[in-house]
Amino acid sequence: MEILETVNWALILPILIIQLVLFVVALIDLVKIEKTNGPKWLWAIIILFVNIIGPILYFVIGRRNH
Amino acid sequence: MSIIKVDNLVKSFGDIKVIKNLSFMLEQGKCIALLGPNGAGKTTTLRMLSGLMKPSSGDISFSGIRAGTDIRSFIGYLPQHPVFYEWMSGEEFLVYVGQLARLSKKESKKRADELLELVGISESKKRRIGKYSGGMKQRLGIAQAIIHRPKMIMLDEPVSALDPFGRREVLQLLDNLKQETTVLFSTHILNDAEEICDEILFLHDGEIVESGTMEQLNSRHTQSKMEVVFKEPAKKFLSEFAQMPAIETFSFEGNKASFVVKDLDIVKKTLLKEAVQKDWPLVKFEISRTTLEDIFMKVVKK
Amino acid sequence: MSQWVSLFKKEMLEMARNFKWIWVPITFILLGVMDPLTTFYMPQILDAAGGLPEGTVIEIPTPAPVDVLMMSLSQFSTIGVLLIILTSMGAVAGERKSGVAELILVKPVSYGSFITTKWAAMLCLLWVSFLAGYLASWYYISVLFEQIPIVEVFISFAIYGIWLSFVLSVTIFFSSLFKSPGAAGAASLAFVIILSLVSGTLAHIFEWSPAQLMGYAEGVLRTGTLQDHSVSSIVFSVACCIVILMGSTYVFKKKELAS
Repeated sequence: MEILETVNWALILPILIIQLVLFVVALIDLVKIEKTNGPKWLWAIIILFVNIIGPILYFVIGRRNH
Repeated sequence: MSIIKVDNLVKSFGDIKVIKNLSFMLEQGKCIALLGPNGAGKTTTLRMLSGLMKPSSGDISFSGIRAGTDIRSFIGYLPQHPVFYEWMSGEEFLVYVGQLARLSKKESKKRADELLELVGISESKKRRIGKYSGGMKQRLGIAQAIIHRPKMIMLDEPVSALDPFGRREVLQLLDNLKQETTVLFSTHILNDAEEICDEILFLHDGEIVESGTMEQLNSRHTQSKMEVVFKEPAKKFLSEFAQMPAIETFSFEGNKASFVVKDLDIVKKTLLKEAVQKDWPLVKFEISRTTLEDIFMKVVKK
Repeated sequence: MSQWVSLFKKEMLEMARNFKWIWVPITFILLGVMDPLTTFYMPQILDAAGGLPEGTVIEIPTPAPVDVLMMSLSQFSTIGVLLIILTSMGAVAGERKSGVAELILVKPVSYGSFITTKWAAMLCLLWVSFLAGYLASWYYISVLFEQIPIVEVFISFAIYGIWLSFVLSVTIFFSSLFKSPGAAGAASLAFVIILSLVSGTLAHIFEWSPAQLMGYAEGVLRTGTLQDHSVSSIVFSVACCIVILMGSTYVFKKKELAS
């Protein structure tokens, strides 16, 4: 994989880290929250398997306030 | 001394007049029940009194409060289904609301602690409100209504959603509050009102159909009732009796006859004398009084 | 004043508890770095994706750094604006819909404070998130392409931030007007789109329109100086925010809380 050698890890790594933070925070919140819009297991799948967009979608749509 | 005076209050939603010309006055330091069946306009009335809703016409005035001051400082209000910030703990919410009611942070904390103890949820004060049960939320709701020591508190059906045990406790709590403040609460259950209130306002179809202190209501409405049961159909013996001017209403029901009487003595004497002379096959002879329940039913059916 | 602070603190605390302070800035950062990265690595990505016939020479001219920053800015103006609307549409409407506003507003709380604290808290989140995203974009461009003078970046940031603040104010207005957060969001989005379209097609008439701010931000980046009408547009937009907030308080006060 030639591309791996050309990639500047100093640039990619921070992104991977904040992406991980986003992912972890979304999961923690999902576990703690009582109710979500739509089934909880579905959101778990979305957060786990849809990279980046999944956690964001969860926070925007899935999370129920109050 | 009166604390609140309501004159010709009207509220309509579109074409529907929910409150029709309400006028009353409430005394300071009393416990008043706003009693009425569902849909009578109790919630609408309380919302107008608390300032959450504007009357279509009419006037609400609080005495002892200078014109132009924010009446919300002087009242506490608990809606029928209180909703809180579920992400806050019970303690946080009380302290927050106390500060909104212009207590200092320190005062608010102190008062919140007192009240959590008073309403009996201090053990769960650090827990998120989202995890509270319905009864706990109701208690928290009462606590938030009185945190700023209002002159008057208004509670919308504070006990309707509770189980008998919780209801008992909350009523007890309201009874204690009477010493500190004027309590106005709505209910559709007469018993709750009878138990702790000094005064009752009967609301029906957006109008006050009857009001007064418990004594006034009792003396105005209670009458003597008489119930007589025979071994045979009652009509046979008492059909003539029913014509007596001392009897107001009567009804026969198989072997049973019931009367509401104006003059108990005359009716009693005549009836018993007759019974002995003619040797009636009496099974039961009972004298009682009509209760507020009867009045409530009468008022509502009017 | 102390009451305003209490209300404001509550908003900040709520945004911390529901993780808005984490996920919104992160989302803006990801939006910001996306274009610099994909633009820079485009040849490799195309190569790795394969499917191109042997011997095809991929020749993509290296874009100017300002062009890449503009790509990021257009991410903020689409997804960023959408995010702002979605996160703030329930600020007032949500509390009224749930009924919690009934408990709060029966206390001697000023309606103006109730609205403005929500606006102010969201404004903090917005500027911090946008700053994080914009700086991230700028930094990645500096490393991968060339450095853009930081002063001009900051001026363009400030100008564009005012447009985003305008969007927030509009959303708060509709949130005060409608009881449903969804309706508030839809109305805000429609308003912003229409304003952008009208201002775009009739640019010569609506030079002072808030929707022109993106153009003025670009102007600073490309020329290093403020374009004509930039200042009038900025002043007008800030004035709009103030008027919209007053309007929000007014419509909120007039509306019946309970229905």
